[in-house]
Amino acid sequence: MSRSKKLIALVLSIVMLAGLAAGCGGAKEEAKKQLQLTLYCGLMEDHMVMTVKEFEKDTGIKVSAVRMSSGEILGRLKAEKNSPKASIWWGGPADGFIQAKADGLLDKYVSSNAAMIPAKFKDAEGYWTGIYVGYLGFVSNKKLLDEKKVSLPQSWQDLLKPEFKGQITMANPGSSGTAYTMLATIVQLMGEEKGLAYMKQLDQQIKTYPKSGTAPGRMVGTGEATVGITFLHDGIKYREEGMKDLVLSAPSEGTGYETGAVAMVKGGPDQEAAKKFIDWILTKKGQELGQAAGSYQFLTNPEAAAPKQAAEIKDVKLINYDLSWAGNNRTKLVEKWSQAVKK
Amino acid sequence: MSLIQPQIDDMKKIARDPILLATIITVLISLLLFIVWPLYEVLKEGFLTDQGAPTLRYYQDAFRRSENIRVLGNTMYNGLFVSLVSTAIGFLFAYTDAFIKIRAKKLFNLLAILPIVSPPFALSMSFIMLFGQRGFVTHTLLGIKDADIYGFLGLSIVQILTFFPTAYLVLAGLLRQIDPALEEAARNMGASRWHIFKTVVFPLLKPGIANSFLLVFIQTVADFGNAMVIGGNFTTLAAQVYLQAMGNYDIKGGTALATVLLSISVFMFVLQKYWVGSGSYVTVTGKPSRQRQLNEDFIVRLTVGTPCFLISLFIVILYILIPYGSFVNLWGIDFTPTLKHYQYIWALGMKPIIDTTYLSLLSMPLTGILGMIIAFLITRKRFIGRGMIEFTSLLSMAIPGTVIGMGYVLAYNDPPLVLTGTAAIIIFSFIFRNMPVGIRAGVASLQQIDPAIEEAAQDLGANTFKVFTSVTIPLIKSAFFSGLIYSFVRSMTAVSAVIFLVSASYNLLTVAIMSQVDVGRLGVAAAYSTVLIIIVLVVTGILKFLLSKMGTTTSLDM
Repeated sequence: MSRSKKLIALVLSIVMLAGLAAGCGGAKEEAKKQLQLTLYCGLMEDHMVMTVKEFEKDTGIKVSAVRMSSGEILGRLKAEKNSPKASIWWGGPADGFIQAKADGLLDKYVSSNAAMIPAKFKDAEGYWTGIYVGYLGFVSNKKLLDEKKVSLPQSWQDLLKPEFKGQITMANPGSSGTAYTMLATIVQLMGEEKGLAYMKQLDQQIKTYPKSGTAPGRMVGTGEATVGITFLHDGIKYREEGMKDLVLSAPSEGTGYETGAVAMVKGGPDQEAAKKFIDWILTKKGQELGQAAGSYQFLTNPEAAAPKQAAEIKDVKLINYDLSWAGNNRTKLVEKWSQAVKK
Repeated sequence: MSLIQPQIDDMKKIARDPILLATIITVLISLLLFIVWPLYEVLKEGFLTDQGAPTLRYYQDAFRRSENIRVLGNTMYNGLFVSLVSTAIGFLFAYTDAFIKIRAKKLFNLLAILPIVSPPFALSMSFIMLFGQRGFVTHTLLGIKDADIYGFLGLSIVQILTFFPTAYLVLAGLLRQIDPALEEAARNMGASRWHIFKTVVFPLLKPGIANSFLLVFIQTVADFGNAMVIGGNFTTLAAQVYLQAMGNYDIKGGTALATVLLSISVFMFVLQKYWVGSGSYVTVTGKPSRQRQLNEDFIVRLTVGTPCFLISLFIVILYILIPYGSFVNLWGIDFTPTLKHYQYIWALGMKPIIDTTYLSLLSMPLTGILGMIIAFLITRKRFIGRGMIEFTSLLSMAIPGTVIGMGYVLAYNDPPLVLTGTAAIIIFSFIFRNMPVGIRAGVASLQQIDPAIEEAAQDLGANTFKVFTSVTIPLIKSAFFSGLIYSFVRSMTAVSAVIFLVSASYNLLTVAIMSQVDVGRLGVAAAYSTVLIIIVLVVTGILKFLLSKMGTTTSLDM
């Protein structure tokens, strides 16, 4: 009989241990009256940690933050729709935010500090506000350029040079927001038919389509490919990390850009703290913090100083990138591209 | 009527044994809760529109895409290739370990285990450093200008190195169980070693070979970390599921693809059951009674030992690159020694390191015990629902991590069970994802042990609990402890499922490594990986030490 008691004890203890673990998580949430904030962050880890520390110091609000990719955050918000755990989505390209708005995952909030941000960098109805802008361009490996005796690519057409055959890398537009921005840029620049024909020609030059948008910069930096199509601020960052052979250039025909955004999650806890965070992150101080952590995007607040590392690309010619068109045609366009290049 | 009569008899027997009944019910409920339910949530997601109307649209969309058909072919091709080669290599190592006299055996063992300890992407990254366009071997040594290892070949090699230890573990556990007395009897009757291998040893290994093939196949088709880093244009289904759900913001399309992936794994599983069939693989004595006389034939030692040695050497080189990369400025470009990556980790905080270790340690015993109980129930008991227990418990490994992760979030975000953002959700995902290895090891060992031993105990009046603790467990101890260690290591290095479960209160090392690779801080990623490997080696070392104090071995010697 004592044997059976033992087993029952064992089973019970397993159940209780599980309950305890679950309970522990629950108990922590029971906090004092202090304001708290949970946020999902699509930026770099160190940028996040630093900003959170600074924000806590300024406001006394206790923050827990976790970094994920845009797609992960969106998936998480969808799954948590009925009882959101986070109240802020901070960082990551605006097309994710546009999608979240369409899915009814965001709450309107127009911060008083958003007034001076240009209209093209924020949602007309106030569902999200732009915080930074990143330009699309080319990163090249200087050593490899010299080896192949070819000059720095200066236009979209330059990428079709025979010297670059099998030496260009861009991410797969089906999986990467960066690469999709490039595809949408080409189509907006040349029109659909010509644009897809260009992508087909470019496909002959591509070494590989990695899955993540940051991979081309890394591959070029480590000499795995000669030219990569990526956001230029990533290129600057990799160079700062020690990939010294990286050189930047931008297409003369004009290029697209991403707008990074911040938004409030619908029905999230701690709304009051969330609003405080958005107000704070839009200020000059809140926007400039990223530079110390190696985020070199341009900033949406006209008062905030652009990172000096990005000075070399500040005069890049931009197209009038149509965010909502790009967002609405994503699936169709990616499929047309897949058909055209058979990838 | 007569058809269900035996089942009714079985159930009557079970009903007379309340402990057994309670255990079965507990196991069933936990499997339903933590595997079936999240899976159901995911399946539901793919068949319902946002408004909740049933639809097949997402499946039609998924298969209208030409790309996905190609991806399906890639997945099968890659899975079969990696499984075949990994099983062969795992067998080679296991055989060397059990039958051949080689001095470097301890080293082989350690190295065969290392890839399991490998943090995500680490091997892919080292591999690119060696064989990429600027790779040390391809560019510096061989002077190849435009080497391209991205794609099927690079991915398959890395996966083989990562997964052959799984095969090795399964087979080594089995080989140790075979009693040399059988072989000696055959030898005394004049059979050659080769003949003995064919007629005595190999038939006993069949279930293990089938199991290891299946395990590796399932791991390969579900592996998304390496596929993301080194797959290039060769996309497999696991990566495609992730890309569809996370990259394209199309969760429903992703779940549709995931269901296809799941069907492949289930199909493999069913195939394996019929292939191994219901043959008996029993060595009547139960446990080996003494040491085997090892083969000292020089030619054999050379032919079997050389490939083991070469593979081990290759793994060593790949692993040396990881800590080396964490102490230089930038791996492959700037080799100035530095400690800055470790300072950076220190500045970011030790939380992910502590969290990961703590949660993995906590889930380890739970995984091991549950795994053994299930193995025991599957092989030794007959009751209604047994097939379901076996099927679901092993299925959990076949579910791609991204999908089960998403399922967990969908299932445990609303009452009755609110677990999102807690430690519990991570622990449960560890338990139910790592359990199958323990179960398989347990089942494989139990299949070799004659149930008569346990029946004898039962005849003498022991109840199920008594039989399990004092007869069964001692017989399958080594499988149990291997399962323990394996589950700890897998928890430490798991990435695909937990990406979805980390929260502001619990962050994990692997996820930190991924984001560091993503932003190009390869040195920091290498430093994190080094820390992770050290923790794993220290913990498993302590475990082994404690076990040796208790006079037990595992089926892996580190």
